[in-house]
This record gives sequence, structure tokens and C-alpha cells, in this order.
Amino acid sequence: MTYQTLRGLTRCARDAGGRLLTGLGILILLQNLAPAGLALATALLIGRVQHAVPSDLVAATTVPLIVFALVLGIGHAADAALEPLVYLGAFRIDGAYRARITELAATSPTVDRLEDPESQRLVRAARADPVNWTERTPGTGVMALIHIAAVFAGAVASCAVLAGFAWWLVPLIFLPALAQWCILARRHQSFMHNWRASRREMQRGNVWERTAADPGTSKDIRVYGLGDWIADSIQTHIRTAFEPIWAKLTAKDEWQVFLLVGLPFSVALAVVGHDAATGRTTVAVESAVLAAGWSIFQSLGWTDTTISVTSAGECLAAYEELRQVLEPAAVPAAVLAPDAAAAAPRELPDRVPLIAFEGLGFRYPGTERTVLHSVDLEIKPGELLALVGLNGAGKSTLIKLLSMLYTPTSGRITADGLDIASYGHEAWRSRISVVFQDFVKYELSAAQNVLLGRGNLAPDFEELELAAEEAGFGEVLSRLPAGWDTPLARTRTGGVDLSGGQWQQVVLTRALYALRKGAKLLVLDEPTAHLDVRTEFEVFQRLAERRGEASIVLISHRLSTVRYADRIVLLDGGRITDSGTHEELLARGGEYARMFAIQAERFQAGYDDHIEEGELL
Amino acid sequence: MTAAPTEYSPRVSRGAYLRLGRELMGLAWKRVPGRVVLVFGLQAVQVGLTAAIALGMRSTVNDAIQGRAHSALVAGVVVALACTSSMFCTSLVGGSTLYAVEKTALLDLMPQVHRDIATLEGIEHLERTDVLDRLTVVRTGMWMLMFGLFSAVRVFFTVLQLGVTLLLLGSIDPWLMSLLVFAGVPLWWERLGKRGVIRAETDTAEQVRLQRHLFEVATTAGSGKEIRVAGSGTEIARLQRAAFDEAVEGRYRALVRASVLKLAGWILFTLGFAGSLWLIVYRAAHGHGSIGDIVLSITVATTLRTALQGTVSESSGAAQAGRVIAPYLWLRAYVAEERARVQGTAMPPETLSEGLVFEDVTYVYPGTDRKAVDGLNLTIPPGSVVAIVGEYGSGKTTLVKLLEKFYRPTSGRILVDGTDLAALDTDAWRARSAAAFQDFGRFKTVFSHNVGFGDLPRLEDRAAVQAAVADANAQELVRRLPQGLDTELGTETGGVDLSEGQWQKAALARASMRTSPLLFVLDEPTASLDAPSEQEIFERYMVRARSLSRRTGAITIIVSHRFSTVAGADLILVLADGKLVETGRHDQLVDLPGGRYADLYGLQAAAYSAS
Repeated sequence: MTYQTLRGLTRCARDAGGRLLTGLGILILLQNLAPAGLALATALLIGRVQHAVPSDLVAATTVPLIVFALVLGIGHAADAALEPLVYLGAFRIDGAYRARITELAATSPTVDRLEDPESQRLVRAARADPVNWTERTPGTGVMALIHIAAVFAGAVASCAVLAGFAWWLVPLIFLPALAQWCILARRHQSFMHNWRASRREMQRGNVWERTAADPGTSKDIRVYGLGDWIADSIQTHIRTAFEPIWAKLTAKDEWQVFLLVGLPFSVALAVVGHDAATGRTTVAVESAVLAAGWSIFQSLGWTDTTISVTSAGECLAAYEELRQVLEPAAVPAAVLAPDAAAAAPRELPDRVPLIAFEGLGFRYPGTERTVLHSVDLEIKPGELLALVGLNGAGKSTLIKLLSMLYTPTSGRITADGLDIASYGHEAWRSRISVVFQDFVKYELSAAQNVLLGRGNLAPDFEELELAAEEAGFGEVLSRLPAGWDTPLARTRTGGVDLSGGQWQQVVLTRALYALRKGAKLLVLDEPTAHLDVRTEFEVFQRLAERRGEASIVLISHRLSTVRYADRIVLLDGGRITDSGTHEELLARGGEYARMFAIQAERFQAGYDDHIEEGELL
Repeated sequence: MTAAPTEYSPRVSRGAYLRLGRELMGLAWKRVPGRVVLVFGLQAVQVGLTAAIALGMRSTVNDAIQGRAHSALVAGVVVALACTSSMFCTSLVGGSTLYAVEKTALLDLMPQVHRDIATLEGIEHLERTDVLDRLTVVRTGMWMLMFGLFSAVRVFFTVLQLGVTLLLLGSIDPWLMSLLVFAGVPLWWERLGKRGVIRAETDTAEQVRLQRHLFEVATTAGSGKEIRVAGSGTEIARLQRAAFDEAVEGRYRALVRASVLKLAGWILFTLGFAGSLWLIVYRAAHGHGSIGDIVLSITVATTLRTALQGTVSESSGAAQAGRVIAPYLWLRAYVAEERARVQGTAMPPETLSEGLVFEDVTYVYPGTDRKAVDGLNLTIPPGSVVAIVGEYGSGKTTLVKLLEKFYRPTSGRILVDGTDLAALDTDAWRARSAAAFQDFGRFKTVFSHNVGFGDLPRLEDRAAVQAAVADANAQELVRRLPQGLDTELGTETGGVDLSEGQWQKAALARASMRTSPLLFVLDEPTASLDAPSEQEIFERYMVRARSLSRRTGAITIIVSHRFSTVAGADLILVLADGKLVETGRHDQLVDLPGGRYADLYGLQAAAYSAS
């Protein structure tokens, strides 16, 4: 339990709300003071019974009985009330905590840091969504901390009861109980570490388990007769993971309880019993010692809470590290906007800008490979520009730079002559819309799926309808059982799964909605890969109609589509190697012409229906 | 509508519960007899200890009052040791239960489940989402099943403990046994509350899944790109929080209801208990019983409460397991039924001489009434290369799956050299085939295994693997992998992630491992490859198809929507809505007036015509 953990958990605790925490604290305290209270109430009752005259007995015990019932009742009440409150407290904390991670990860200015495997590891470590008992959340950690404090407060109260008989009973019982607590806590921790040490093997076993039940892989498994091999391999991984854990799961240390609990407790009870019999103390005190002593051993015998604190601490440490990596402050302003570091973000004029890439170069941080070498390119206002090139040619990187998702290593991108960095991430991105190849399929309603194309603006249902109409989304929409409100995931109530082509139409609607809400540049990264030939052509024509209101950049492998662009740019090995209209490029007889000719020829001979990027080489 | 094999019912009869319980305990007994003895034995001992503690306490107090110092001392030690022993038993029972549950679940139950899932002849159980959900519950729920069993055992002993406690109270005064009523009501109410909580958990599961999904979306770099450009990060965090809060809210409300019930119940108990104490005091005042009785009943009442609460939590633990039981029993019934179906025994021929014949073959997906393949009559000559063309959902892939015996025809039959495919030994037939599917397998293991799996006996045969890699034109890919053939794949386990096209090459290489197949299937095998690769692979596979055809009369079936791969086939089958609408060679079909093939071809050809 480090200082860092304590500080982190204390900070998280605030999310539960002051009133809840206070109430919770009081109730847990009451719950843990109840044993000491009961011991006293019992002593009171027995004292009265022992010393009362039989005829007065009933009258003399009325008050102690009521006290006893009250203490017992309060204990029960605290018990009952705590369950929902602890739940609420823990989950309020976790809810706020997870939302912090979500926001942190989803709003950091660039995406390169999030792509880093180390960041992804941190996200997994920090996410507070336990997959096994060794992982605990900050909420659980806070509750455990409160619980530990209350347990010790209760033990102190019980010790006070013991001291009423003799001071030496306190060290006699409390010290071994504390030792027992420490030993159990250590044992729990080491069990947790044993588990974690096997996590890799468990993961491997898990991967095979999922492979065995995967619909796609199931066919390979059957054709090649791999079923038994895989079942055996799952067993091997499980055995390798668990045998060391089981080997340490022995009962050989359990006897210690007789030394740490049995011995001191026996001594205490023997002495107290003897003294009560010889009149050195009363039976009332004897029964109080009995109850209080045992409650100390019992309350300090449960140590699962220490795992919660440790594990929650690890979670928070990962979050802290992640924050350092992702938070904007970690990026020096000079890197963000070299020529406008000091200046306030400039206003973007409300028109389609002239975008220029000026000597743009990019290399992934920490690698030698240069992805882009000094690219110079203009996107004229209202132009439909097609970008073609081999895999790894740098097309996606170019788009990421244009979206300010990466920061250029050299050169810059300007809009109407000004570095886009000077407008700031948010302002610039409000002017662009990108359909990525791996677009997001939200398990939300159809409407939300479109509206999240501009999630920072208030939903505009009028524009939503218009965008749908424009994208030809109507047909898909009419087949959704609850129209716009239909969740686009079968796992949701009333939800449906869409096909690849249908999703692509959702995403086109999303992009067109963004255009209607002020985007002036639309980038499409292979927008029609899942569409059949007929639909593809329709979609393309609709987009072509939009040029003028916005510039459009199209990345496609189908040269049959690309040919209709205003200008075609060839990207090869991070450099622009050719540029012009389809006709110009054909006339120039360069690489594009050669490829198109080969392609068309092959097709006419009964060959390919679409050109892949690889053919451009 | 055809009935799905073995209908699923979420209800399980009491008899089935008991039979399953006995069977599972038998497994645990075989696996860890010592621990099972400990769990049962120590819990029995604990019941005895409950009585010993209570009686010991009474005598320490009574001995003390009567001034018997020596007895009081001994009784004190007895109580202390009995308490300690009880603590010892609890700890040991807990540890042993965990041990028995883990070992039995992981070494006996789970392996069988995985083996069943992976080795059933058909794949229908993996293609229906409702069934897949059920399988996921079973795959991940075997622990819960075993825990449920041991919870039930614990409930049994707790009930025994309750009985002993009541007998002790009854030994003071039979009237005190009425405390059972005061204890029974809270028990009942608490169960009621718990049930509400479990219901709330089920009701809010969707919101929990949603918040998890949004968290994934927000924290993954791939989706992070779009979220940033769309400026949606804050909104997604808000939606995620809202889903999380909604789930918490629902569960909290159920917990509050449960808590009110629990509180009411325990207040009732406290009143009853105070009443009992009053009764004992009253008796003592009239010369019956002793002060020790008061101590005894206070002790016993505490035990009573612990025992009751234990019963509630353990039985709700058993109830959790109930969610796994129905799907588990269903899976076993399904597996039994599948394995009991008539299995073919005939061996496939060495070489094909008559080819494949489809006789009026129809296939209907279980649980639907749509004919995926509808009355197909067709002869495929030995040694031919066949291309299947058609739009999505036209039955192309179903036809291939029927040939690999993933499905059995609903009616009609398929003949292999005159023998019904159903009569052929499935493993032997599949051993003479090779296939690369559209949704091919991605094995998160070393690259060489991904290829070597294509011929399991030669899994470690480097030369064979390298040859297959060359066949799939994947040498360059292997060269670029950090550890070549030995590169671990899949990021989850710290390996490398391949692109779609690279995985596809691995699948193609796998399909090239077997040397003498009778059936070679390529189901849209090159959709993610760039054109030069596709072309080169295709040419290689045509050469391979021709040589196989000469040696064994092997039939090669290519499912594709690309004309580059279709045009060179000996026979083109055009499917629509499960029916065969056109057959012939490219040159015969391309000029067919009004034909589907001609139409599709014409549309695409136009896009490349000189403008």
C-alpha cells in the first residue's frame, strides 16, 4: 500500500460524492463497532441478571434488554443499508473514472501516441473492467480502504472492552490478530502474483478456445482435421498455466491459525474463566472478554480488501502513466504549431479552402523508415482529386497528416496560405470529414451512427434526413424495424446487423451529414470496397455532384471509378510520381496509362473487373 | 420451416439438476478425492463445532458463577480451541473448494466442451448467433457450474447447522424454537431481494455491454482516427458514462429494494430474538435455567444469523450456476444427437473417375424456411475446373459447404464416383480435400503452423511448408516477417498482426499443403490480394489443378466474382437464389442474350471501355 495508491484512491473517492461517502463511512463504522457494543450490552445484561433479586429480575433487565436489541438492530440496519451504498459508491467512482479514460483517449490531439503498443498496454491495465479476480477497480479499492479503516476502528473499540478487564489482554489478543492479518494479506498477495505469472499461458489457452469456436476458422479446422489437435493444445496451455498455481495451493500453513489465534485466545479465556470463578472478576466481564476477543480475531481474519487496494493502485498508476503520454500538455506547443506557437488560434473563413502540402515529410517517431518524402500537392477548392498508389505508398499517412492526426516531420500543410496547425485541431477538423477504411460501427441507433459524424454539434435531424436522402440511404432505412431508432447491432434490444455494403451506406450518410454541417473537404478512403458494381457507380455519381460545395479526395483501387476524377495523383514510395486527368495521364503514356491499358485489355480478354493498387507498379 | 436439431429450452427439470449434480460430484471425486473428503468432512465437523462453542460458553459462565475455577479454565480453553478450529475449517474448506472446482472445471469439463465444439462434423452450431451466444456461456461458465455445485453442498451443511442451533435452543425451552419463524421470514425476504438483484443484472447487461463497446471504440487507435476528425470524443465519453450510469442505476434500485426487505426481515428477527432473551431471563427469574443459558442463546443467535445469511448467499451462488446449466445440458444433448447420426464408413476412391453428381439437392438452414440451395441437378466431370458465379446469397458458398460435409442436404444427395457422400467416412473424405475459404481461419500461433495445419502429419516439415508458401506466392511476405516462418502471429499474445491480404496468403499456402486431394476449393480466395499477386497465384493454381486433374481426376472449384478467375474455367455455374440458372464456358455464356453472366460482364466491361 504505497503513498501514491492512497493519494490516488483518495482523489477518486471524491467522485462518490461527499454525502454518500459520509453516510457510508458512518454506517461501516457502526457495522464494525457493533461487536464491541454487543459485548458491552451482553455484559450489562448478564451483570444485571447475576446481581438482581429473582423477584426484581424482569424489571432490572428491561433496560439492558432494550439496549441489547438496539445495538443488535443497529448492526443489522447498518449491514442492510451498506450493500446498496457500497455498490453505488464503488460504481460512481468507477463510472467517473472510466469516463475519464474514455475522454482522455478519445480527445488527445493526435492519434500516434494512442497507436503506440505501450499506450494500448496502459489502456488495458487502467481500464478497470476486471476479467478475473486479480483485477480490481478504483471504486472497489476506495471501498476496501474505508473497510480496512473501519475494521481497525472496530478492533480498537473491542480492545477497549478487553482493557476493561486487564490491560495485558490487549497486546495478548491484538498483536497475534494483527500478525494473522499480515500473514493472510501476504498469502493473498502472493496467490495473486502466482496467478498473474501464469497470465500469458492463460491468454494463449484463451486464444485457442476462441479459435475452436470461431465460425470462420471452424471450416479450416474440419477440412484439415485440427479439432483434436486444438483441444489438446488448449489442455497443454491450461496445465502449464495452472499447475504452478495448484502446486502452491497447499494447506500446509493453515495450522498457523492455532498458534496465532488458538493459543492467545485459550490463554485469555482460561485466565478470565479462572478469575471469574475465583471472584477476581465478574461473569459479566468474562462474557464481554469472550465476545470482544473473538470479534477481534474474526474481523482481522478477512484480508481480501488488501488485494483490492493493491490492484486498484496498479490500475491508477497505469492511468497516471497514460495521462502523461496522452495529455496535450505533453506535446510542446512548438511542435504542434511551429509558426504559431504563441499566437491564438486563427479563425477559419467559411469557404472551401485551397489546401497545399508544402514539402511534406513524415517518419514514424523512433523509426528510420521515411513514409513521405517532401510531398508537394494542391487540392483546389471544389476539386475531385483521386489518390492512387501501392500499399505502403503513404496514402493513409497523407490523410492522417491532413487530419492533423499526426504531426509532420518536415514541411507543412496550409489552408488558404496559413498552416492548418495555426487554426487548432478542433477548428480545422470541423472543416473536414474523412471516411476511413476501418470506419467505426457504433452499436448505437442508426441516427446516432450518422450524427456522430459531427459529435461535437447538437443533433440536427433536418440535415440528417437530407444527408440520408443524398446518400441513397432510404432503402436501407426503410428496412430497419424502428427506422432511425434501430440500434445497428444484434446484441442490442431490437437491433439488427447490417451487411458490409449497408454499413458503407451508413458511413457515407455520416460523411454527407458532416458536409452539411460545415465540412469543406471530404476524404474517402476506399469507400466502395464492399459495394457491388452497380451501387458503386451510383454512389460515385452522387459524390461527384457535390464537388464545388466541397473538395473531395478519393482513394480507390478501382481505376474504373478513379478515371472520372478531375485529377489523378499517383503516390509511390512516399513521393508523387504523376498527376493529371485520366485523359492527360493516358496521353502522357506514363505508368498510369500503361496500367490502365493492361487492365482494360485483360478485362476485355475476360479478365479482371477492378484494378488493385499493386498493378500500378 | 424445419425444426432446429435439439430445441433449446431454458427450463431444466429437477431430476436433470440432481443427475447433473451427482455426475459433477463424481468427476470431482475422481479428480481430487482428498479435497472432496476435506470439503465434506470439515463442514460436518463445523456443524459439531457450532454446538461445542455454544455449550462450552455456557459451561464457562456457569462454572465461573458456581466458583469452579478449574472447570471454568478448561471450558475457556475448549471454547477458544473450538472457535479456532472453526476458523481453520472455514479456511480449509474454502481453499479445497477452490482447488476442486478449478481442477475439475479446467481438466475435465472444459476440455470436453472444447473438443465437442471443435470436432462435431457439421458447423451449423457455430453459424447461428443464438447458438453461438449459448456456446459462449458454456465455454466460459464451467467454473460457475462447479462453484454452483459446491455452493449447493454448503447450503446443505448450513441447513444442518441451523437444525443443530435450533435443537440447542430447544434444549433450553422448546418455545425458543419459535425463533425459527422469526429467522425464516428474513430468509425468505432476503431471497426475494436477491432474486430482484439478479433480474436487474440481466436487465442491465445490455447497457454494460454498450458502455464496454464505447470504451473500446474510444480507446482503440483505429477508431480513434475517425472520432478525432468528427470531434466526437466528448460525446462518446458522455454516451459511455450514460450507459454505465443507467446500468448502475438499475442495479442500485434493485439493491435498495433488496436492502429494505433485508432490513425489515432482520428487524423482525431482532425483535424475536429480544423476546427469546426476555423469555430466558423470565425463566431464570423463576428458577429455571441459568445465566449460562443467556450466553448460550446469544452465541447461538449469532450463529443462526450467520448461517441464514450464508444460506442466502450460497443459494444465490447456486442460482448463478443455473444460467449455465440449461445451455450446458443443451450442448450435451446436441452433441449426443449429432454423434448418434449415421456416420459414413466408405473410403473415398483413390482417383475420381465419374466425378461429382448432384441429384435434386436442396438445403434449408435450420430454423429458417429459406432454401439456400434449391433442387440442384448437376454433373461435374472428373478433372474439371469449375467456377461458381452469383450475387451475395445466391448459394455459392452453401454448395461448397455441402461438398465438404459441413452441412447435410435437407433432401437429395451428392454422389462421389457413384457413392453417396453421406456414406463416405467424413474424416477420410476431408483428408482428400483442401480448401481456402472467404472467411478463412486465422490461427494466432507461429506462421509455419498456419501453413502446416494444411497437412497435420507434416506440421513440422519445413520443406513442405516452404513449398506451400511458394505456391501461395508468399515468400516475400515470409521474408519480411521478423522471425520468418517462426514469427508469432496475433497482437494479443505479443505477436505480429498481418493485413487481410497477408492472412489470405497464409490460408492459400495452407490449402497447398496436401499433395493429392480429390477436391480443391477456392472460395473467393484472393479478394484482398493485389492484382499481380492474384494473377500469379491464379496461374499457379491452374497449373496445379491441371496436374492434380491428370493424377487423381481431382476437381477444382473456384467461387469468385472476378472475371479474371472465372473465364479460364472448364465449366461456369451461374447461381441465383439457390438455383442453377446458367452453365457453360465463358465464350458460351458471354454472348447469351439476356443472360445474367453476360449482363454482369457487360456492366463491368463498360467501365473500362475507352471513353
